[in-house]
Amino acid sequence: MTLPSSSGDDNNLTAPGPGVRQGDPGSATGAALGGGTATAATTTATTVGGGTLTQPRIPAQVAERGEGADGTEAAEPVGLGTSPIRADALAKAMGTFPYAADLWAEGLLWGAVARSPYAHARILSIDYGPALAIPGVYAVVTAADLRLGPTGQPDGAPSGPIVQDRPVFAADVVRHFGEPVAAVAADHPDTARLAAAAITVAYEPLEPLTDPEAAFTAPPIHPDGNLFRHQPVRFGDPEVVGDVVVEGLYKVGRQDPAPIGAEAGLAVPRPDGGVELHVASTDPHGDRDRAAHCLGLEPDRVRLVVSGVPGATADREDVGFQVALGLLAIRTGHPVKMALTREESFLTHPHRHPALLRYRHHADAEGRLLKVEAQLLLDGGAYAEVSSEALAAAAAMAAGPYVVPHVFVDAWAVRTNNPPAGRMRGEGSLQTCFAYESQLDRLAAALDLDRLEIRRRNAMSTGDLLPTGQAVTCPAPVSELLDALAAEPLPPLPVDQPDDEWLLPGGPGGAGDPAAVRRGIGYAVGMVHILGAEGADEVSTASVRVSGSQASVMCTAVDTGTGFSTLARQIVQDVLGITDVYIAPVDTDQPPAGPSARGRQTWVSGGAVERAALMVRHQLLQPLAMQFGMSPELLTISDGKITSYDGVLGMPVLQALEGKDLWATAQCRPHPTEPLDSETGQGDAFVGLAFCAMRAVVDVDVELGTVRVVELAVAQDVGRALNPEQIEARIEAGATQGLGLALMEDLVSEGGRISNASFTRYRLPTSLDAPAIRVVALLEERDVVAPFGAKAVGAAPATVAPAAVAAAVRAATGRQVNRLPIPAEDVAL
Amino acid sequence: MLPASLDEAVTALAASPAAVPVAGGTDLMGAVNAGLLRPMALIGLGRINELRGWQYQDGTAQLGAGLTHARMGRPDFAALMPALAEAARSAGPPQVRNAGTLGGNIVTADPAGDTLPVLAALEATVTLVGPEGGREVPVSHLLTGLDPMRGGELLGYVRVPLLHAPQVFLKATGRTGPSRAVASVALVLDPGRRAVRCAVGAVAPVPLRPLEAEQWVSGCIDWDGDRAIDPAAAAAFGEYVAAACVPEPQPAGLPDSQPDGMEGGPAAAAARLRRTVSVLARRALGRALK
Ligand SMILES: Cc1cc2nc3c(=O)[nH]c(=O)nc-3n(C[C@H](O)[C@H](O)[C@H](O)COP(=O)(O)OP(=O)(O)OC[C@H]3O[C@@H](n4cnc5c(N)ncnc54)[C@H](O)[C@@H]3O)c2cc1C
Repeated sequence: MTLPSSSGDDNNLTAPGPGVRQGDPGSATGAALGGGTATAATTTATTVGGGTLTQPRIPAQVAERGEGADGTEAAEPVGLGTSPIRADALAKAMGTFPYAADLWAEGLLWGAVARSPYAHARILSIDYGPALAIPGVYAVVTAADLRLGPTGQPDGAPSGPIVQDRPVFAADVVRHFGEPVAAVAADHPDTARLAAAAITVAYEPLEPLTDPEAAFTAPPIHPDGNLFRHQPVRFGDPEVVGDVVVEGLYKVGRQDPAPIGAEAGLAVPRPDGGVELHVASTDPHGDRDRAAHCLGLEPDRVRLVVSGVPGATADREDVGFQVALGLLAIRTGHPVKMALTREESFLTHPHRHPALLRYRHHADAEGRLLKVEAQLLLDGGAYAEVSSEALAAAAAMAAGPYVVPHVFVDAWAVRTNNPPAGRMRGEGSLQTCFAYESQLDRLAAALDLDRLEIRRRNAMSTGDLLPTGQAVTCPAPVSELLDALAAEPLPPLPVDQPDDEWLLPGGPGGAGDPAAVRRGIGYAVGMVHILGAEGADEVSTASVRVSGSQASVMCTAVDTGTGFSTLARQIVQDVLGITDVYIAPVDTDQPPAGPSARGRQTWVSGGAVERAALMVRHQLLQPLAMQFGMSPELLTISDGKITSYDGVLGMPVLQALEGKDLWATAQCRPHPTEPLDSETGQGDAFVGLAFCAMRAVVDVDVELGTVRVVELAVAQDVGRALNPEQIEARIEAGATQGLGLALMEDLVSEGGRISNASFTRYRLPTSLDAPAIRVVALLEERDVVAPFGAKAVGAAPATVAPAAVAAAVRAATGRQVNRLPIPAEDVAL
Repeated sequence: MLPASLDEAVTALAASPAAVPVAGGTDLMGAVNAGLLRPMALIGLGRINELRGWQYQDGTAQLGAGLTHARMGRPDFAALMPALAEAARSAGPPQVRNAGTLGGNIVTADPAGDTLPVLAALEATVTLVGPEGGREVPVSHLLTGLDPMRGGELLGYVRVPLLHAPQVFLKATGRTGPSRAVASVALVLDPGRRAVRCAVGAVAPVPLRPLEAEQWVSGCIDWDGDRAIDPAAAAAFGEYVAAACVPEPQPAGLPDSQPDGMEGGPAAAAARLRRTVSVLARRALGRALK
């Protein structure tokens, strides 16, 4: 085994690029190795070209606070409720922020994966001789190189967040197009790809199961069967019949998270036989544990260091990628880097669950909902992933943020030979929101009621019951959100404008014709649950340290772009009155904070940071309070100074510290939840709920079937706005993603084969498609059980936007609009 | 290799036949980065000034293959070749228009290439230059493979007639921002020959010319008067063009067999495409005769 660099001394670390703080992910210290049991670090990970950049390094923290080079402090507000810019904003804007794909280590090899060209096939044999014969190839690994299965045979070391069924490499059967079957390490990326292509796999193609409706009766495509979960909800009296009944069948396509950076990472072998993974994980400890399990190693011998995450809307990478990387490093004894192509990225990472939803709504003559019957079918793809979790959300929230006395739902998540689905903002609740909001529009039409009015008449509020029997204990300002939208003036019609200044559907210089354009206005309101559900142990740990004039936060909540690091800084500033707060990089040597998904980090990790900071505060103030002869509660800290309530006594923080280091570690664990009953769907399954209402204004060219969203107006229930600008950014991001699903994003499976795995074919909203997004209200009714009273903000707008856009298109065209993304043929007249 | 003249480039290509010419690289480098292509060597055409401009030549314009989309979109160019300018303005985002060239668009010959239907409607010809000198080939022959580019040849120039009459290019896409054409229509008036010429892009591997529809509509126009057309005739022209260029949708069962307006399937999509082409052709004619 050749080790590229023999010692762990820091001299061979190149300096990070401008805007990258020492210790940040990807900076030399952030990505540096050698923690854990391996004290003699084997090699060094740094960023490509980091040392060759000649610009002076801009310390992000200083730049961010607006301090000039002369050290004069510009007055920037600090603490909760203000909007400091993100620490990494400068580096990201300047293109110097190091992402996983920028990692580098001396003597590294390049990995590439051989993938199945079939959606469903039996593997008869794998001949990797031709690949190994290519000069420059160091190793080829397949299922046979992983931990063996229970029978002593290779089974691809299946793993998964809930059910362990997704192999790293297919062992006997491939179940989706692009599923990995082998991986190669070589001295050049092209050689690695060439070698991967040279692996000869003999397949016996099998009939692919790609229609989720056929999954129930088709022969099982996996020993676990084709049904991931069936969740009924039985609430009230099934015999009730309304004065008005409307029915609808709705379909939601396959949205891809399409992160700006494709999957990439670096694995470095450790002298103890383990491996260190530098990857853009959003769930470092979960991924570390699963990777160790697949590799047949103790978790302690796998260390995962989180590098800069180039985009994630919940799940990002499948663990198979990380395991393949680690295995190649262990096999070759070299660091191995792998960067997936855009096509591979589309094929492997989890997508949004495509769904088929059949609804029947019963209402009385006044438009009050009596009964909702629903059948929901989620296409989970080839492996279980988190389908059962998404299904619980879909089933429990099938009736939406409305009071409905009788609800009967049957929800299924099934296995198909489509690519696996996973978590994406509002998984489960997004699909149902589109359906129940479409149903409310139909009901309004059937009763000739105003569309806002019918929603107000049925709006849920605190104290009402979900169809799962759980009482809504958090703020549920549904009516208030709708009122905020109703009060908002509409964007002006382009009547006084020359035609060529009007941005028509189809874009500038496009084929749009003002004479064929109709404007439509649509409303939608929806909800998502916050945190893991059904008894998931939601917990996070954080440490806060104060030393001199600086505070540090150690917490492994990955900031995927959500701004958690900024929030953690604000929390510490608020509690300790110290402006200089350093956020440590994330690796698995620290205690877990859980995945950055399901809107949980503000709650659990924010809560843990606050508690730890409060403990430090207590340690700091206690002696002083004794000295002043008053209780610590009467002392305040601000601007680095401790002052008594009456302003008489005071002391700088630095002096109070007396040169000591203060440390505290705390956990935050919200109140427990319980699983939904498997027959009735009853149970207190959720920790909290967040609500959002949206009004969409669209222009539709009714001849061509093209749509442009003119404006989205958003009213959101945020509990407490901890960083208003960050919240607006999250709302813009979520709403734009929802718009993408509504109008254009669909990963097309043709018999299981994905036919548009590229950015030329998979259309994302561009800046011309993104409308004006106006946040008309951030309702701050604090959730008393949540840390700071705050609610997660990212998922709710993504959940509601598709329904709002569909409603507006419906209003403009009079068509039913039952499918997302809305095809041109469903729009045109 | 960065030759400074077309001759040098042709010589360089003859010397290393495995080399691949690259102009703006907006198509080529995508293929290289995706690992679909690994050229032995590249011959950069970006320094060949003679290919980057355009000039008049007895009633026609001779366009260098290296003209960028951005250049073609400028007003001076648009005044003479409005449809080509419109196609160039609609091709991709500004970064791509600044680099991507007319020659690259033709040689790539993507079905959705935006300049292609315009060149087809204009009945443009291209000058292919090889070691034995140049030859002139109709663009449609090049695209259909009737007269393909030979080894060692470069695309030097494109010759288009100057018609001094309205020309329109319309493109239907799936989003408001820059995007591939779902269908496009180029329509030019040739008052000298009292003809309307039209080509439909993106619906077939090469641009399609609905010759009968062209002829029919040419007869409906009052060429000596105000060149007006009856709206019903314009609509009929749209239908005619669509019927000629998009195959009849094969009904997959009864249209109403889908519940709740879940209309879908390939038949509905084909019907939609027909309608799109029909609307584009009608609008294009309307704008040309405005
Ligand atoms: C994001 C993006 C969006 C795009 N959108 C559009 C769009 O909306 N509409 C559209 O039509 N196109 C679009 N394109 C495609 C592309 O920009 C155009 O086709 C462009 O005109 C190609 O020109 P180029 O100079 O970049 O060609 P290159 O990539 O340099 O070359 C393309 C091919 O032509 C050959 N070639 C180039 N010049 C010559 C020559 N003089 N002689 C012989 N061979 C030559 C090259 O060898 C290569 O095979 C898009 C591309 C991108 C990346």
